[in-house]
Amino acid sequence: MATSSRLLAVFIASALLPLSAQSIVSSDSRPGVPNNPTPGSIPEGALLVKGATSSASDSETALPESGSVSNNTYTNRYFGLSFPLPADWIQKSPGPPPSDSGRYGLTLLTPAPALKGLAGGSILITAQDMFFTPDPLTHASDLVDFTKSHLQGDYKIEQEPSDAHIAGQRFISFGYGSPSTGLHWRILATEIRCHTLEFVFMNRDPQTLDRLVREANAIDLDSAVSTLSGAAQDDVPVCIKAYASAGNVIERVDPLFTEHRYNPVPVRIIVGKDGRIRHIHFLNAFPDQSKAVTEALNHWKFKPYIRDGKPVEVETGIMFGSRAPRLAALSNPTSVAAPAR
Amino acid sequence: MNPWQVVSPAICGRRAAPSRLRGSISFKLRCGFAVFALLVAIGAASAQTDPGVRSSTGVNAGGPLPDLSTAAAKFFDNGETRFETPEVVSGGTNNGLGPRFNLNQCSTCHSQPAPGGSSPNINQYPFVSVNPESQVIKNGIAVSPPNSIPSFVLVNGPVREARFPFFIENGQVTKTADGGVHDLFTVQGRSDAGNCVLAPPNFAQAEQLNDIIFRIPTPVFGLGFMENIGETTLIDNFNSQIGNSFGISGAFNYNGNDGTISRFGWKAQNKSGLLFAGEAYNVEMGITNELFQNERPNPDEEHNFIGLPSSCLNLDGAGYPEDSTNFTATGPAIPSDIVAFGIFMRLLAQPTPQPQGYSTATTTVTAQSIARGLSGFTSVGCATCHTPTLETDPSSIDGDLSGKPANLYSDIEIHHMGGLADNVMQGTAGGDQFRTAPLWGVGQRIFFLHDGRAPDLLTAITDHCLPVATSGSEASQGSEACTVVTNFQNLPPTSGAANTVSQQDVLNFLRSL
Repeated sequence: MATSSRLLAVFIASALLPLSAQSIVSSDSRPGVPNNPTPGSIPEGALLVKGATSSASDSETALPESGSVSNNTYTNRYFGLSFPLPADWIQKSPGPPPSDSGRYGLTLLTPAPALKGLAGGSILITAQDMFFTPDPLTHASDLVDFTKSHLQGDYKIEQEPSDAHIAGQRFISFGYGSPSTGLHWRILATEIRCHTLEFVFMNRDPQTLDRLVREANAIDLDSAVSTLSGAAQDDVPVCIKAYASAGNVIERVDPLFTEHRYNPVPVRIIVGKDGRIRHIHFLNAFPDQSKAVTEALNHWKFKPYIRDGKPVEVETGIMFGSRAPRLAALSNPTSVAAPAR
Repeated sequence: MNPWQVVSPAICGRRAAPSRLRGSISFKLRCGFAVFALLVAIGAASAQTDPGVRSSTGVNAGGPLPDLSTAAAKFFDNGETRFETPEVVSGGTNNGLGPRFNLNQCSTCHSQPAPGGSSPNINQYPFVSVNPESQVIKNGIAVSPPNSIPSFVLVNGPVREARFPFFIENGQVTKTADGGVHDLFTVQGRSDAGNCVLAPPNFAQAEQLNDIIFRIPTPVFGLGFMENIGETTLIDNFNSQIGNSFGISGAFNYNGNDGTISRFGWKAQNKSGLLFAGEAYNVEMGITNELFQNERPNPDEEHNFIGLPSSCLNLDGAGYPEDSTNFTATGPAIPSDIVAFGIFMRLLAQPTPQPQGYSTATTTVTAQSIARGLSGFTSVGCATCHTPTLETDPSSIDGDLSGKPANLYSDIEIHHMGGLADNVMQGTAGGDQFRTAPLWGVGQRIFFLHDGRAPDLLTAITDHCLPVATSGSEASQGSEACTVVTNFQNLPPTSGAANTVSQQDVLNFLRSL
């Protein structure tokens, strides 16, 4: 080997040494620390042990968590939403399962890896089921105000909550930033079918952030779906909080849980025009709990909901199991204090 | 900036070589190698990296609460002594080990950086020891055959317990959830174990079938503070997370006996330190006690109604439970071992952070960087789950635990963690849910995440958002932490001259805890 080649080899080797000694090691090649097998390694057909999770009584009715990205567009039939991804953006991760407090992380979008830089940023689409938020938080504006009032000291408000109109729908626009990190956030929040739907834009570059927010004008909302309280037409029911109250329920059987687990079991139901429940969506329940609730709800009968002289379908929420901690605690709104940091 | 535009002209441009060489293959290769090597060198010099175990500030955990009464201090010392005492099967002063076990002493697993901690390593401060599980046969604690050291137990790896997510029957993984601990060793062959004949589990088969997951020991420093954080405080903190911009929505795990929030263990499955001690004494060491009074078969022995062989029962001849209250003793010696362990853990002080700066084996970290890192930690959203401080309720046990800030960096909630899923359900925590790991003391820990897969903090952070895995027709769902991880990754790797908050600052801050 020529001297120059040997020098080059030594140089390359010395340059590589710090990598092997200090830098990130890929998850599959860490010497001395073998990994767990991933769930993907579990034999075909083995069930994932999910614990409490979401499920529904039928597969035809759209669910909030069933949106997806295809052809560079995030679509969600439940919300009547179509959101074109910015050019060369991808879905980084689907959302986690719905929570027992009615929170959905629907999707997280980022630039494709090849384009990522410090100004990469992200767009998070979330939803909060307002049936399962505490009473002081009833509308999207309440949730935005709550976010604003609970910002930690590291953040600075950059845009007070204000109205915006996108796709014929009222949105609330709100912005804040973190001067120390140089990160900025813009939130576009609206209310659809008694959910607060939020688009959370994050970026280091304010101009890029503004451009991305402007591009959100390309959001398309199905007018038959995207009304505040439901359109009560086609297959979109009107949504009414606390509709499952004594005055509306004619026949009722309580579920018999065979195991007391103490977890909240939030359930969304659609009451048909005949007063019978035609669809059940468990946001978060163990299989035995969803079975017990289903058996009970099959016996429920409601007064038909009348609008313009005709019965229409109604969507509402019921909390089985233990009360959600948030619901219990916010019976006293002053108890919602920011924790010590 | 495209670094090639800056680097390549200087080395391979027109002025760098005669024109007769520019087009040759060897010239292109050399230029390519040289540029690659330069880029690697630049990357290695500027990339963010875990500074490593904090070593310049001494051991900053493991002591008692600062103002313990003389009487309480005696109980603490007694509990610590028992925590560090090896157990034998029979014929000694501390009997009851096995018939199945992982190790024979609390403090071998919980030892880094001091008794009460987590997995040790001989190569990192304070140089406690090699993985004690890897030395079990060498030290005569288990005998080979029938025992052997499983492939996932390594000299420089973490202490691990093994769980099989699903039962294995006839060499095949079933669809029936197991999730229980399969102890690594048995007492067969020990001189103090009589005629016990008991084979260890077939770990090689479980690995070959991909039906095995691991857990490492959780530190127990500050346990008394965590026990004494009230339900209302936890719920208020939970409520304060409403409307966060990070897609985070935790839940609590609940104790099946009284329906209150449970808080200890990787999935917050245990209610109290005493329960934690009693379970570990039986499950990890095979010692029956006043909380778990019966010898514990492995889950498949229980599932198949086989139980343990009679030759392996009551090996010390004193009956059950093997650990109980010492009625004839006096003072701190009266409580059973598990009560003494509980007292020791409850009276352990919380680890002391070092915000003034520190050094590790490879670098020195300044107070300025730590302060920036704290700001970054909060701003990108880490603190939403890793709640820095929660105040304790009034305590009847010790004034040090009463109305004090517990700087634990945890909300004690369980969160969906996507690709980290281990398919083990505990209490109401599902296969993809884990408790927010408390971060106090993380500056002197070596292995991270529930199975110790992450050897450094940067890997631990990025592994909070692993790609979603699929299983058959069912897909696991995403992690609640993905947005926060993305925010973190949008910080510059290092601060540079502008002193902006960087990923490196966040890592430096974490090692100050």
